[in-house]
This record gives sequence, structure tokens and C-alpha cells, in this order.
Amino acid sequence: MFALQLKRVLLPGFTTVTALLILWFAVTTQGFFTLDNARAILASMVFVGMVSIGMTLIMVSGAFVSMALATTATISAMIFMASLSFGLPVAIALTVLVGALTGALQGVAIGGWNANPIIVTIAAAAVLEGVAVAFSHGATINPTGTSYTVLNAHLFGLPVGLYALAVLALTAESILRFTRLGPMIYLMGDNRAAARAAGLPIGRIGTAVFAIAGATASLAGIFMASFNHSASLLLNRGTLGYDAIAAVLIGGAAIGGGRGSVLNTMIGVAIIAIVSDLVLLRGFTTGEQILLKGLVMVAFAVGVHLRQEQRA
Amino acid sequence: MRDFTALTVAGRHRRLRKALPLGILAAIAMLALSLPVWSDVGFSVFSFFNTFQNAATLGLLALAVGLTVMIGEFDLSSIAIFTLGGLLAVKFGEASPMSGIAIAVAAGALLGAVQGGLLVLTGISSVPLTLGGYIVILGLCHIVAGEGILAYGNYDIGIWLDDPVALLFSKRSLLILAVFLLLWLAMRFTRLGSTIRSVGADRRAALASGVSVSRTVAGVFILSGMLCALGGALFSYSASVAKYDLGLDPFIFAVTAVLLGGINVSGGRGNVLGILAGVVAMSLLDTIFIQLAMPTYLIDLARGALLLIVVLIEAPDLARSLTAWKAGRIGAAQAKGRDHSKPLANSGTG
Repeated sequence: MFALQLKRVLLPGFTTVTALLILWFAVTTQGFFTLDNARAILASMVFVGMVSIGMTLIMVSGAFVSMALATTATISAMIFMASLSFGLPVAIALTVLVGALTGALQGVAIGGWNANPIIVTIAAAAVLEGVAVAFSHGATINPTGTSYTVLNAHLFGLPVGLYALAVLALTAESILRFTRLGPMIYLMGDNRAAARAAGLPIGRIGTAVFAIAGATASLAGIFMASFNHSASLLLNRGTLGYDAIAAVLIGGAAIGGGRGSVLNTMIGVAIIAIVSDLVLLRGFTTGEQILLKGLVMVAFAVGVHLRQEQRA
Repeated sequence: MRDFTALTVAGRHRRLRKALPLGILAAIAMLALSLPVWSDVGFSVFSFFNTFQNAATLGLLALAVGLTVMIGEFDLSSIAIFTLGGLLAVKFGEASPMSGIAIAVAAGALLGAVQGGLLVLTGISSVPLTLGGYIVILGLCHIVAGEGILAYGNYDIGIWLDDPVALLFSKRSLLILAVFLLLWLAMRFTRLGSTIRSVGADRRAALASGVSVSRTVAGVFILSGMLCALGGALFSYSASVAKYDLGLDPFIFAVTAVLLGGINVSGGRGNVLGILAGVVAMSLLDTIFIQLAMPTYLIDLARGALLLIVVLIEAPDLARSLTAWKAGRIGAAQAKGRDHSKPLANSGTG
């Protein structure tokens, strides 16, 4: 009863208030409305954007989130740097393959055996990090040659990574809309039992979803490594994974699965990038930045949940 | 009834799960005692003292995680509350340790109440809410610590807490043992235990039988917040230092201990002594790792792998998949008796 009243009062105003708040912050922040800053915001979307593509598919499939994608990106960055001696194309292919494989293994457990996704992915992240330390001994991996710098190039004033992100997002959205796999992912997320009863190969769907997520995360890792000209486990110290989860929630994907779109998630990625840029320009401390991002995430998670309840 | 269920597959599974915590604890204890046989290190009284010290450090965190899992929720923010509790106790408990603990526990209760309240009011799933909560509280930890490490000048308290009692224990480990026992008694001899388990097993049935589901969920979150903060406060007093980010390793320890302790991921099952057995087993394992001088990354690797194994054993559809694989066809598997899991079990909430 109280929750119902809460919804009536909060929901219509929620989006407007948030948008106005961000706008007000933007107007009063010096240096926000410049071309350079716009470019910086777009460039900062690349890493979070790529991880959030896979995160969207995972949430749509009903597995909520993966806590291992940021770690996957990090170890992919290390694998990419280490394998550059085989040439750029081989290095990219090998890295994406390893990323997809680690994702697929988690997908078998989560999709096929219905293991708890949060726990499986947290454990997988610990194992991946342990393996990475075993191979790298905690050292920074430097590239052989400079072939990777082509990934840092700019085209019409925008970084190559941004075009790659656009292509990836459109591809993922097309998979969701125009292939046979897409509707199966939605159905599985909407109702796992019904999907099973309908004879859908839910084990294989889950595996595919997590394999795609692993692949997009490893692409993020490849661009991260190129951007930093080296790779180490320190790349994993930021809030990449949490930003991606927040972007998916802001994009309006259903927490329980069955609804969501990659293109909407990209709007979430843009909002996260703008908020991150604003707090940076305003000189917030790391703690304040993290706190604010967390609050944004809670607000959107609750808001999206209430809106979906109202629709249902 | 018991005789009947014992005959069924589900009944056998239940018995197996009940025996699991003690079985695993015994197996790890055997491993520890047999160390001199296959390596050049051995277990001393001091190793056992260390094991209980280790158990005391993360015991309350595991207890808090276990309680929220028992009601069918999952609290990712618990590790952040543990961290914050340590920071607040160090920051405000220099002159009077008790007031430091009081402030930490009050903050834990408040954060638990806010999250539990939002959960009950909106009906949102606990995973995204507490993930957001984790990030918010992590931000708070950075702010409280002032982006540094807080040192605790009152060393005497740490020494007093960790002074050995009866060779094996310290005041700190005995205190934490007492919390476990108290909660076990409360759950065993009052309606608390059945209330918590019924909320975890089937919310609608619990509601129909007159259990106040909202109050139970909110109450468990408050209790969980208090336990985490208390655990963090005691730990930072003992270490005389508090850091703003402990990473996810303590959380992995706690979740593994909870699952080893026979708590079901989808809620409704398990007891406090099981969690204690899981915590002691994990601590004993850590002591073995330290005795063998294993490098940190190998310990993390082993812990991650152990958690993977335990959660896979828990996976509702693993048995079904194996049966289907054995029978070679899904139809044959579906005809077989199996226990039904809650449909939402995979998203960690009911």
C-alpha cells in the first residue's frame, strides 16, 4: 500500500529530476561545454561500453550480472600484450578466443546447471586473477613492437575504439533482434522453467550469452592495453565492472531478466560517462566519486524496478 | 514422516547436506593432522590458536552472510559494512574502545535498516540493491579513511583481545564464539529459527501462516549489518590498523564458509553451528596454506576453486544434467524424481 503511494509520487518525477540535476551540474561546471570535453566523454565510453554490452545480454538472460567481466578484461589486456609478438591479428583473435572460452565455461555452470551466477562469477574472477599472477608474477607486461598503436588512432577526430564500440553494440542488438538466439535469450530470462518446458536448449543459450560477454570484455581489455601501452593486474583497480552494471540498470534492463536492449544500455553508458566526467571536473575525491556512482546505481535500480512493477 | 523422507532421493540429499559441514571439517582436520606425514611441517597448539584467531576475524562476516542467505536474500554490501565498521571503530575509539564499537555497530544497524527497509518497501531483488549499497559504502569507507590507512594507537586493546586463553583461544575468539552460541540458542529455542527458515523457504507460505515477512527481512538485514560492523571493529582493534578497501577476498572466504556450512543458496535451510563449522574449516585450511608457505596467489586460487566446486555441488540443475547425460536424453531425466528448486533461485532472491 505504502509502496504503491511511493510509486505514484516518485516515478513521474524521477527521470525529470535526475535529468535536471545532471543538467544543472553540467551548466554550473566550468569547462563542461567544450569540444575537447565532449571528445573526452565519448572516448571514456569505450571500455565501459564494451563490457556493458555483454552485461546487458547476461541480465536479459536472467543471470543478473557477472562479477568477473572486469577481471576478464584485465587478463585479456595482459594476454593481448604478451601475444603481440605473433602479430596484431593473431593477438586479437587469441585474446578474444580466451575471453569467450572463460565466459563459456561460466555459462555452462550458470545456464546449464542453474548455479548461482553471482557466486560462480566471483569465484571465477578469483581463479582468473590467481592464474594471471601465476603467469605474470605480478609484473607489468610490455608489448613487442608498436602494431597495437593503430587501435589508439583517431578517425574524423574520434578514437577508433568508439567506432568499434558502435559496431559491437549494433551487432549485439542485431543478435538480440534478428537471430534465432535473440528471442530465446529473452524467453529464458523471462521464465526459465517455461523456456525449459518449451524445449529450448537453455544450457547452450546460457553458454552462448556468457561466451559473447567474455568476448566483448576481452575486446575492452585489448583497447585498455593499447591505451595504456602495457597491461598489469592494476588495470582492475577501477570501477569498470560496477560502471557497466550501473549502465545496464540505467538503460532499463529488467533486473530479473527478459527485458532490455543494448542500445538503451549505450544511453546508460553515456550517462555514466557524463557523470564521471562531471565529478572529475568538479574535483571530487575518489571516495565521493564512488559514493555518487553507488547512489546513482541504487536510485536507478529502485526506479527501474518500480516502473516495471507498475507496468506488470 | 522422517522414515518416509529418508527413503526418497530428496531425503537422502537432505541427510547428506546435514552431514556435509561436519564431514568437510573432519576431512580438513585430518589433512591438517597428517601434515607431518607428507610434508616437513606440522601442526602445533599455536597453529590451532591461529586457526581460531583467523576464524574470529571473518566469523561474524560469514555469520551475517549466512543469515541473509537463509532468508533467501544475498547481501553483497556485508564486506563493505565490515570494512566501514573497522574504520569507524579506529577513528572514534581511540580514547574509549567501547564507544568506537558502539558507533561502528550503530552505523552497521543503520545501513542494514536502510537496505532492509528499501528491500521490503519496494520488493526489489537484494542483489542489485546491495551491490549499489556496496559501492555507496565503499565510497563512505574512502571518505572516512581520508584516502589513507587509519592507525589505531591504543595497542593495549589489541594485545588484551588477542591474549591467549586456555592455550587455544583468545578473548576475541571466545567473544565471537559466544555470539555464535547465543544466536544458535536463540534460533534453537525460540521461534526465531523457524521464522527465518520459513521466510527463506517460501515467502507466501510464511505469510499465510502468520509470519511477518517484512519484519523478518528488515530485522535480519539490521542484525547482519550489526554483526559485520562488530566483526570489522574487533578485527581492526586486533590489527591496530584499518584499511579502506579489503577487496573481495574476505567475502569469498565468508560465502565459501557459508556454503560449506550446509546453507542452501536459495535459502530456507541451514543453522548457525553449520556456519561455525564452515568458518573453522576454512580457517583450518588457511592455516595449512600458511604452514606450507604457499604464495598468496595460490591461496586465492585455491579459495576461488573451492568456492566454484561448492557452488557447483549446490547447483539445482547439476544432478539433472548429469542424469540427462547418463540417460542420453532429456526426456528420461525429466521422468525421474528430483527436487524442485524455487524458480528465482538463480537470481539470488525469492
